Amino acid sequence: MILEFLLIPLIVTFLAPLMRPKLSTVVSAISFLIPFFYVIYGLAENIVVKQHVISLVKPIGEFYILGDQISFSFALAICLVSAMVALYSLPYMAHRFDEMGREFESEYRKYIFFYDLYATSMLWLVFSGNFIMLYIFLEISLLASFLLIYMYGYGDRRKVATLYFIWTHIAGMLALIGFLLVASNNGSLAFNSIAKIGFTAWLLIFLGMIVKLPGLGPHVWLPWAHAEAPTPVSALLSPLTVGLGAYVILRAYLISPWFIKKYMMPIFIYGVISSVYAGFMVFRQNDYKRLLAFSTISQMGYCLIAFCLGTYGIMAVIIQYISHAFGKAILFMTAGGIIANYHGLRDITKMGGMHEYVPTISNAALIGFMNLGGILTVGMFGEFFILKGLVDTFGFDISTILAVVFVFIISGLYSFYTFKRIYCGKPAGYEKVKVNRLLDTPLFVIGVISILFIFPPLANILLNAVKTGVIKAAILTIGGVAP
Amino acid sequence: MMVLLLSALVSLILIVFGAVCSLKDLRLSLAASILALIIVLVSSITTQLFPYVLLVVAIGILTVFSMSIRENQISGVDYSLVALIALITAYIAYTNDISFILAAFVIASVPTYALVFVSTDGAKPHVDVALKYIVFMVLATVLFIIGTLFLAYSNSSGNTMLYTLGFVMLILGLGMEVGCAPMHEWVPDVFSAADPLPLSVVASITKIVPFVAAYKIILLTALPQLSKLTIFVAFIAVISMFTGNIGALTAKETGRILAYSTVANMGYVIATLAIVTSKNYLYLAFAGALLQLIVNAFGKASFFASIKTNGCSRPLMYLLALSFIGLPPLMGFWSKFFILTSLVGAGLIWLAFLLIVNSAISIPYYLRIARNLAGETFPGKVTAIALISSVAMLITVLPPNWFVSLAKAFFGGV
Amino acid sequence: MNWELIFLFISPVLCSLPIAFFWVKEPGSERARKLPLLSVFGLFISFVIAIHILLKYPDGTYTIPWLPEYNINFVFIFDYLSKYMGALTAFIAFMIGIYGLEYMKHDYRLGWYWFFFNMFTASMLLVVYSDNLLMLLIGWEGLGLASWGLIGHWFRDDDELAYVGIIGRKIGPLKMYWPPSYGGWRAISTIRVGDMPMFFAVAAIYALTGNLNISQIHWGMLFSKIGAAGTVFLMLCFLMGPFTKSAQLPFSEWLMTAMTGPTTVSALLHSATMVAAGTYLFIRMSWYIHPWALHSVPGVAVLYFFVMLLGLISAFYGALVAIGCLERKVLLAASTMSSLGLMFGCAAASYWFGKLALVIAFWYLLTHAFAKATLFLVAGHLIHATHTRFCCGDLSLAKKMKTGLVATIIATVALGGLPPLTAYWVKAGMDGVMHHLVEMVGSTPLYLLILTSLLYSAFLAKFLSLNFWKGCKCSSLHLHEERLMPFAYACVVSMVFLLLYKILSGTDPLVEKHLLEFGLEKDSLMVGLGVTATYLFALVVPRISVLSPIGTFLGDRMYLPALNDFIVPSIGWAISKLIEYTHKAIDWFCHFGLPDFMLSISRRIRSIQVGYLRVYMKIALAFVMLTIFVSMMGWL
Repeated sequence: MILEFLLIPLIVTFLAPLMRPKLSTVVSAISFLIPFFYVIYGLAENIVVKQHVISLVKPIGEFYILGDQISFSFALAICLVSAMVALYSLPYMAHRFDEMGREFESEYRKYIFFYDLYATSMLWLVFSGNFIMLYIFLEISLLASFLLIYMYGYGDRRKVATLYFIWTHIAGMLALIGFLLVASNNGSLAFNSIAKIGFTAWLLIFLGMIVKLPGLGPHVWLPWAHAEAPTPVSALLSPLTVGLGAYVILRAYLISPWFIKKYMMPIFIYGVISSVYAGFMVFRQNDYKRLLAFSTISQMGYCLIAFCLGTYGIMAVIIQYISHAFGKAILFMTAGGIIANYHGLRDITKMGGMHEYVPTISNAALIGFMNLGGILTVGMFGEFFILKGLVDTFGFDISTILAVVFVFIISGLYSFYTFKRIYCGKPAGYEKVKVNRLLDTPLFVIGVISILFIFPPLANILLNAVKTGVIKAAILTIGGVAP
Repeated sequence: MMVLLLSALVSLILIVFGAVCSLKDLRLSLAASILALIIVLVSSITTQLFPYVLLVVAIGILTVFSMSIRENQISGVDYSLVALIALITAYIAYTNDISFILAAFVIASVPTYALVFVSTDGAKPHVDVALKYIVFMVLATVLFIIGTLFLAYSNSSGNTMLYTLGFVMLILGLGMEVGCAPMHEWVPDVFSAADPLPLSVVASITKIVPFVAAYKIILLTALPQLSKLTIFVAFIAVISMFTGNIGALTAKETGRILAYSTVANMGYVIATLAIVTSKNYLYLAFAGALLQLIVNAFGKASFFASIKTNGCSRPLMYLLALSFIGLPPLMGFWSKFFILTSLVGAGLIWLAFLLIVNSAISIPYYLRIARNLAGETFPGKVTAIALISSVAMLITVLPPNWFVSLAKAFFGGV
Repeated sequence: MNWELIFLFISPVLCSLPIAFFWVKEPGSERARKLPLLSVFGLFISFVIAIHILLKYPDGTYTIPWLPEYNINFVFIFDYLSKYMGALTAFIAFMIGIYGLEYMKHDYRLGWYWFFFNMFTASMLLVVYSDNLLMLLIGWEGLGLASWGLIGHWFRDDDELAYVGIIGRKIGPLKMYWPPSYGGWRAISTIRVGDMPMFFAVAAIYALTGNLNISQIHWGMLFSKIGAAGTVFLMLCFLMGPFTKSAQLPFSEWLMTAMTGPTTVSALLHSATMVAAGTYLFIRMSWYIHPWALHSVPGVAVLYFFVMLLGLISAFYGALVAIGCLERKVLLAASTMSSLGLMFGCAAASYWFGKLALVIAFWYLLTHAFAKATLFLVAGHLIHATHTRFCCGDLSLAKKMKTGLVATIIATVALGGLPPLTAYWVKAGMDGVMHHLVEMVGSTPLYLLILTSLLYSAFLAKFLSLNFWKGCKCSSLHLHEERLMPFAYACVVSMVFLLLYKILSGTDPLVEKHLLEFGLEKDSLMVGLGVTATYLFALVVPRISVLSPIGTFLGDRMYLPALNDFIVPSIGWAISKLIEYTHKAIDWFCHFGLPDFMLSISRRIRSIQVGYLRVYMKIALAFVMLTIFVSMMGWL
């Protein structure tokens, strides 16, 4: 059953380039919306599926599709954001090709192929039941995103793309060695037959994913890549791809949590410092997309923090991924909306009072920032779970509490500070434009859904499934032999 | 076995016939060479090694085609020479006899001496370059053969010192033959100065036989002493990888970049020899090495052919470059993946780590190659070669289990 | 019941959606300008439901499932506090909605305004009726967000009327004027600082008890479990929310610059929503914590004493600032802060005094809400008429705005605590409470309270006097035929009498005759007389020019803006600069230093390609010889 739903976007990936741009966009969006509804259905019914794909030679083991509540939760964000960004791509890329002086239709065929490939590979990634399978999709997503930046990026796009490629390739390869170590110890890399992940393997996986996530230090690639990518790609890269680093760590954690439990304190501190560091950087950015990129680093710090906080922390990782995906997708699309309407306007110092000219985009940005701050959106539960996990884990330890609270405050502050800089204040003196419907409607769709997720029935469906999934996995170590 | 022998004979006759025909009609000699290779293919259809032969024949035909892009001084004969190399490459898989292996080693390398000389479009033969090449090859062959003899002798006599000496000489010979650092000095010069078309042979298919031969010889003559010696191989591998990849970063001509890329690739491949003593992972290691060689062969053949025509179809060039970088699901990923798996499994994590560092360093210059060579898509032989190579890179979209069983079959009797 | 409750919250929001969408599509069109009626209708629905709840619903809780797996549900509580507060909120919001129809008629961003206005109301109702802390937080965050939206409503910063402070005035590095966008930012930034610790406290309560219903948690057990330090820490974290929302020291600045919003917003913000939410929440928590029964639990005493002191000091500070203010709305804002401080102080006294202190604080909240809403609405009308934010107006103005004059007189007298009007009785109750405390915590609270009361009546009188009697003459008057605005504040102010009736008749189940008894005590009467005297004095002498330097100091809020505008941002900028340099260093190393290093090695590697076979052979043979030598020597 699940395989069919996953095949839809895959097939469309190869069919879309054959169609006319409008049709291909709509078909691509629908091909992600169908699994989206299936995912919601799966969450509601607490479905857990395992479907065999292929068996490989001994140390690699079986490739299978694993659809449990955790996969479904991640897929939820991926499907929705991919579908909406696909719609958004049409007017945006038209603008971009125009700017680059390329012919629209033939370029769009290429674009939509790589776009679909990119999104599909991420979708398949979260349903992979084998670390190597997961790695393969990780690299395919890297490949597709790299090419998109390489072909259509801004600035010194080839250099930035190469830089992005190198960093994430190292990330992937480090994790790969970790996986292979696991393989040589356990004789298989299928989630359900790994008993334990040894120290070196864990370390390598963790380090690799820290680069991907990214934590402080290796984070330097992200502001380049996310700022210079064509905006629809940024809108997948930042919300979805980097968070998949958290997904990989999560899977490893569910199999063999000892590493993070043992090194809880250093990881926690690292997460806090990453988040605060990036949060402060946001205040100093003058490029809208670069600013958002730093905010991504800050938000991913949440995930690192949450990993240290027990069961509720793990649940928080999932919710945080979803909420950040929604929020950041919206925000990148707002940045893109301004770029498309005002001929590449990205410099915040040249903005101000933009609400006057693009009210719909401004309103969408507000919802986006609400998502980041966890205000009235699904992110609220993420923060709630992090805080609950904090008390569960550390008790009333004032320094940790203040650290986390400070991290949250910083997010809220930079969100509204940025909003004020860009959308409020004296209007900067542009012409009011008519915004293409596809440049704002998808943003509101994501925004409304992110708000609906705090109310029943969606909140119920998601949170119950997450709880069931994480707790069951924590008891049985779902991927993994019961100890 | 009889079928194989018989078809080998028929193929050889055809090849010679083709060479003779070249005086008369080039097309005839082309057809004869290809027919010979097809006979090789058909004859092995029932054996376990068929996929290997298929790949080798495919590469063989590609390289023959690439030789036929432009005429040269020995047009016609060169098809036969290439076909001969391909034939030996295919048949070396079936033998475990040391003398035959040595013979194959020599036969696969000698025709390239002639090929390096040639030039197209009426230019002068590349004597200077060829001289460098031949001197190195001869020295390599000598080292390799002496090493083999020492190994064979010490295996029966149990003299460990001689065994060590033999092993070191074998590896040095192998390294020099394929172009491992620090004996790689000929590679950049030859690859940038010789004619690209023969290079599409020299850089691709000829690399396979030395490695297969080395594998077979080492396994056939193994002594317990071997496990101590593998560190030497790892050492060569690391030097080679770093020299190749870092050297390529600032190389300017595409041929020179490809030369350093070859040095690096040979480093990856020779790294697998470090784990011949690990029983469980030997097959994976060999699978990785062989697959890497095949990737290298397909890729280099296409790239050199494209250099000749100043570029080829953009998507194909990028696809091949990405395969070299090692992105799944392209074939270049699986080769690196098998190598890494075997390295990690055998406990050489540090080597695996260095390998990925190198793989990261290599990204910029592969992209540069692709960019240098990317051009419009036009129908022609070069495009066809690149297209077939690209298709080959894509056959591993489904994980290539079959390749590991192939590697097992290789050592059925060893 | 289910649907009625859902509609209570959802109808204002739903009814404001049409204008929100329509305004984006066709800003300023005739059709769009009619849609606010629909929004007000949404408020009306809420109002009707709230009245229905007040009159008909039995006390108790009502649950709608939300996250039953987590034991978190939508739990609505109907008790003394929520019923009154809900009705009050809905009523005032509805009235201000009517007022806003006229006040905001020509605005340029009606969609935004009405959406957030109605969301503001809905959020407050959610806070009022919720028993579950997480559900309360939704409302709480909604309040914060809506207040931000409304304070920064005139985002263009192009209207002098929307500023706070004299434009261009600077003291040292401090700009003493604030545009709306900045006012909004100040509000949300302060509130976030408070909300996050509060959010933590809620999560901690959940982690410790597994329950989030205020009325069900066994607070005594919780506090005993976490010890004195834990209790103080947890509750201080929790109270950071109310403190920031209710603008207690040192978080008061945002409230002053919240005056950049439309006056309707100020009226709503300062009476029934937002700032009241903080005190309301504190009263509600104390209502179920039963602090007076927790004398054996360590830590609670410290906590309540701290809250009381903070409240009273804030009250005193607010009153002093109001004395020095000359801007109509800022004066009222400072007075609100003062009132909120009194509420906190009185409610915190419940630890020693018992539940009645909470009831008194709550009654003060009710009185204050009606009176303050009236004053703001009148102030809005005045600003419309005189086109200035500063107090001005004389008898000629008073003649033209009779309703406004009467409403102001009633509101100031009633709120100032002049006997025998409403606030007198309530404040007498407070006096009684603080008097009772003298034995236990000393007489400081009592003195603070009395001083604040005196100042309070003085600046209310000043407001009245400067706007309708002794203020400077207004250069131009723009009185149109406003009907809805006077109607709205007349309705609101009349409620003061309803409260008075309730007090005097003793029909309220909890207040009974207590307030009357307090009010008839000698001490209270003395205070009442003092208050009356200062009121009359200030009415006649609203400005004393000799004291103007002190007045300026007070009007500048004792330079507290420096905290928000200078000290905290300076620290932040310093840190972020430092971090930026670190980032640049890492970035340079990874993207320039390391690659350049690689390239130089690369050039070195390539430098051996000299092209001479001789050299190559030397290198290769040397290596061969070396390895053979090493292998012979080292490995055997």
